[in-house]
Amino acid sequence: MANDILLKIEGLRASVEDKEILKGVDLIIRKGEIHAVMGPNGAGKSTLSAVLAGKPQFTVTEGTVEFMGQDLLAMSPEERAWAGIFLSFQYPVEIPGVTITNFMKTAVNAHRTGKGLEPLKAGDFLKLMREKMAFVQMKPEFAKREVNVGFSGGEKKRNEIFQMAMLDPVLAILDETDSGLDVDALRIVANGVNALHTPDKAAIVITHYQRLLDYIVPDVVHVLKDGRIVKTAGKELVAEIEEKGYDNL
Amino acid sequence: MEQLHIRSGSMEHRLYVLDSHAGAGKALPQNIVVERDARVDIIIFVMPGVSAEVSMEVRLEGEGAEANICGAYLCGGEERVKIAVDMYHLVPDCTSRQLFKGLAGGSSRIDFYGKIIVAQDAQKTEAYQENHNLLLSDYAKVDTKPQLEIYADDVKCSHGATIGRLNEEEQFYMRSRGISLEDAKVLQMISFISPVVDNISDQQKKEQVASRLEEAVRNLVKGI
Repeated sequence: MANDILLKIEGLRASVEDKEILKGVDLIIRKGEIHAVMGPNGAGKSTLSAVLAGKPQFTVTEGTVEFMGQDLLAMSPEERAWAGIFLSFQYPVEIPGVTITNFMKTAVNAHRTGKGLEPLKAGDFLKLMREKMAFVQMKPEFAKREVNVGFSGGEKKRNEIFQMAMLDPVLAILDETDSGLDVDALRIVANGVNALHTPDKAAIVITHYQRLLDYIVPDVVHVLKDGRIVKTAGKELVAEIEEKGYDNL
Repeated sequence: MEQLHIRSGSMEHRLYVLDSHAGAGKALPQNIVVERDARVDIIIFVMPGVSAEVSMEVRLEGEGAEANICGAYLCGGEERVKIAVDMYHLVPDCTSRQLFKGLAGGSSRIDFYGKIIVAQDAQKTEAYQENHNLLLSDYAKVDTKPQLEIYADDVKCSHGATIGRLNEEEQFYMRSRGISLEDAKVLQMISFISPVVDNISDQQKKEQVASRLEEAVRNLVKGI
């Protein structure tokens, strides 16, 4: 059904500093689906996620992206977030001087303002924070820490999933969420993503390796190579890639 | 011109918010003497629209004396802010800290000149000086000249000066969480000057100043 479509990408081309990275990407994502985007280094996986989140350094030269019927490319990064897009960063950014509490309070209330709601009461906000931090097994003292400053790789990724749980997006884009994670952290992060998934939502899991997809099982798997999706299949494609490598597809 | 003499064993904590043009900086003490085991904290905020000249000579004359001189300036227009501090360590075992941070927008002009002078006898001196600036416009100008003159050999001294711009990676990260570009900039600037605000010891005054600064920063961001 057409109204099941959350995201529709057609003929997307994008460049950074005059170098074309995405060379015509087509992708349709429906409610309830988890899509994996796999591919070798430099294929354009991170560019795709950055373009969907609206990173200013990337220029879209051709193509269209519709998100729940809206022209995504016409929206600012914050408007995309309000509409329900969330990007879990491969390299979460450190923000010295800004505590997680202050950061999340500003973010949650910006979302609420965007939806015409009143800001959350301080008590309600702290309760929500505590609940979501426990959900990704973050210690409560992290609330007072500066965003990502001095965090280990695993702590940064858990912080991403914590933020995702706080903001409750419709479409989550997980960019190499498995990089730099040990098995325990990987399991916590994957369980978090799975628990947040509902039939009304969707996720794009971008990864180089099979590892994460053992925990977050995709419905559809795409291979991105040299800026194009060269193969799309079901989850059985993951094992095939692991066996043959990207060069022999 | 005020002289400040901190007597042995006593402590002076002063907060100055320069928010009007008329003689901004004139109210500040220009000569400060700190005696044995005494301490002085001077915290200065130069609010938007205010041109000011801060000129200070601090003399640590008794062992165990301590001086903390810090400030923040918020410039978004045609302000001229000049800061000059001479910190004299004349006897052993004294500590001094200088921290100045500021926003340079519009066509403002910042001049920072800070000097630490450690006399030959002033062993076990600890002296630190930092000046950090965020350049918000191509027309603003910052000139920073940190200097050390050290004649003793057993000292801990450091100085650092930077001129940078708002980090765009941070901005994109915040925007991807739904924080507007304007709010992201406000958060960045507030966090930049908050180490200066943290020096205010009185909690109530600290909150008052913090909220005035936030309002001022928000107005600055609207003007960028």
